[in-house]
Amino acid sequence: MLVEDDPKDVELTLTALDEYNLANEVVVAGDGEQALDYLHYRGNFMRRARENPAVLLLDLKLPKVNGLEVLKHIKSDENLKMIPVVVLTSSHEEKDMVASYKLGVNAYVVKPVDFHEFVNAIKELGVFWAVINEPPPGSVRKR
Amino acid sequence: MSPSGVDASQRVVHPPSEPGWRRQVQSYGLAFVSVAAALGAALLIDHFHFRDAAVPLLLLAVATTSWIGGTGPAALSVALSSLCFDYFFTQPFRSRYIVSRDLPYFTIFTLFASLISWFAAIRRRVEEELRQTRDKLKVEVEEGASLLDLTHDSIFVRDMDSVISYWNRGAEEFYGWTRKEAMGKRTLDLLRTIFPKPFEEIREELIQTDRWEGELTHTKADGAQVIVASRWSLRRDQEGRPVTILETGNDITARKHWEGQIQGLNRELAQRSVALEAGNKELEAFAYSISHDLRAPLRHMAGFAELLRKNAAASLDEKSTRYLTMIVEAANRMGSLIDDLLAFSRIGRAEARNSVVSLEQITQEAVAEVRPDAGDRKIVWKIDPLPEWYGDRSMLRMALVNLISNAVKFTRTRPEAEIEIGCAEHQDDHVVLFVRDNGVGFDMKYSNKLFGVFQRLHAQETFEGTGIGLATVQRIVHRHGGRVWAEGIVDGGATFYFSLSKIAGAN
Repeated sequence: MLVEDDPKDVELTLTALDEYNLANEVVVAGDGEQALDYLHYRGNFMRRARENPAVLLLDLKLPKVNGLEVLKHIKSDENLKMIPVVVLTSSHEEKDMVASYKLGVNAYVVKPVDFHEFVNAIKELGVFWAVINEPPPGSVRKR
Repeated sequence: MSPSGVDASQRVVHPPSEPGWRRQVQSYGLAFVSVAAALGAALLIDHFHFRDAAVPLLLLAVATTSWIGGTGPAALSVALSSLCFDYFFTQPFRSRYIVSRDLPYFTIFTLFASLISWFAAIRRRVEEELRQTRDKLKVEVEEGASLLDLTHDSIFVRDMDSVISYWNRGAEEFYGWTRKEAMGKRTLDLLRTIFPKPFEEIREELIQTDRWEGELTHTKADGAQVIVASRWSLRRDQEGRPVTILETGNDITARKHWEGQIQGLNRELAQRSVALEAGNKELEAFAYSISHDLRAPLRHMAGFAELLRKNAAASLDEKSTRYLTMIVEAANRMGSLIDDLLAFSRIGRAEARNSVVSLEQITQEAVAEVRPDAGDRKIVWKIDPLPEWYGDRSMLRMALVNLISNAVKFTRTRPEAEIEIGCAEHQDDHVVLFVRDNGVGFDMKYSNKLFGVFQRLHAQETFEGTGIGLATVQRIVHRHGGRVWAEGIVDGGATFYFSLSKIAGAN
């Protein structure tokens, strides 16, 4: 699952993931509220399959509910806290990094400006979390 | 008091020896003379057949001698008068023998004479003791009074109606009224006292605790107002009734003045630091926004240009491909500019976390970090032993990374690069490190431009860079109380020095 408000970033990220045919399985949420709705099967997501995403790629600067708030919510919810969360942000800001790790983030990645580096980073992330990593029980499995 | 009493006080302090023995001789002489005079008078009276004058006359002689002469002469006079009495006035007359009938008469005379001289001796001793005590007291009082005059504090005593009964020299000098002028006046009238709170409250506190202290405003003889730190002590009589108040004061006018100034300055400082803090917060929000919002569009530019180049590779001519490459390069360059600028501004904002840092270790780390940039170039590294120093580890490491990566960059044209990192000076309170290379160097003419933000001495095509690295180094070094400078020769290498001072809080 990708939580990202900027469509350009969404497109670039999906393009990168597509190289390993991972893009089709990605659910995109445009803001924090939508992400939480999805995770709690609310609103538009009431009837979706009862499983957690294998990994959550989370931007920090989001409208309505920001990334750190989403992270805090996930890590304090009994049903959601096992979902691996990777913060994917534009910023090198140390404050954000420290806050994320304190909230229990599983990885923290700063998006490189250089496209090749960016593609590599996203690809490796996707491969690691969706393919190599054994997700916790009750998560989507790569088929 | 007799004049000799005053002299006695002098003798207590300096006893002169000569008048002592002269007095002794006089006293014993007095014993002889008085007894002889009494005897002469008694014999004369006896000669004219008057009765029994000898006993009172001789006793008078004994009493006089004892009174004036002291114990020794008294004993002598008793002995002499007893002998005379025995010889002239007991039967048989003019003989040392005494008939048994007159023996009690003689014994009583002797005892009576002894008694008189004994009483006189006691009285004398008591008188002597009293005199000594009085003299001692007088000296003590005088010394005490002169001690009170030694102090610069003003001290005065007043009764319960505020009438002044003592006024020391400190008070004379401070207020400008002499002791004579002040005595008998009321303090309230003389000093025009302004109290910090109603006088009744002060009085009540004084009566309850026997003490009061506070700040009073007084007016001096010349009309100037002064602020005095005043301490009052209450003295009571034997029945416990308040009698007098001892008032000590020292001048705090100047101190109050400076206190007022300091308070004003502190207020101003507080206002400024509030403004500064607000400014800092704004700056922080600004930097945060830059790091998030400015990098995203760059990433998009670079990303989509790259995608375009990939997708349209077949239909694009060479020129168009080059334009796309330039767009990507420009975006990447702007990305590193933003990163460097943010790092630079963070050094100004971040709080230094000081600890003992092994300069040698962070140098090794910095070299390890920079080394991959050099690829397979041949570089001879020389790292001298470096001391431990007190400072912010990550900042110092960043400074070294910047200097060393500069050295690597500007030796690129050399077949064999030499980079040396060493310690030029190691004192108790400061240390000077240097990074030396045999690279392209620089013209000393421009050495003042080296450390400015965005200042570059080389064309972008020759040596890439943002022009922020050395400014960052300078900022870090300044935060460590040091300075940074460089020596270089065009095409002859460069040496960058920086000093670090012992920061407050270092052991």
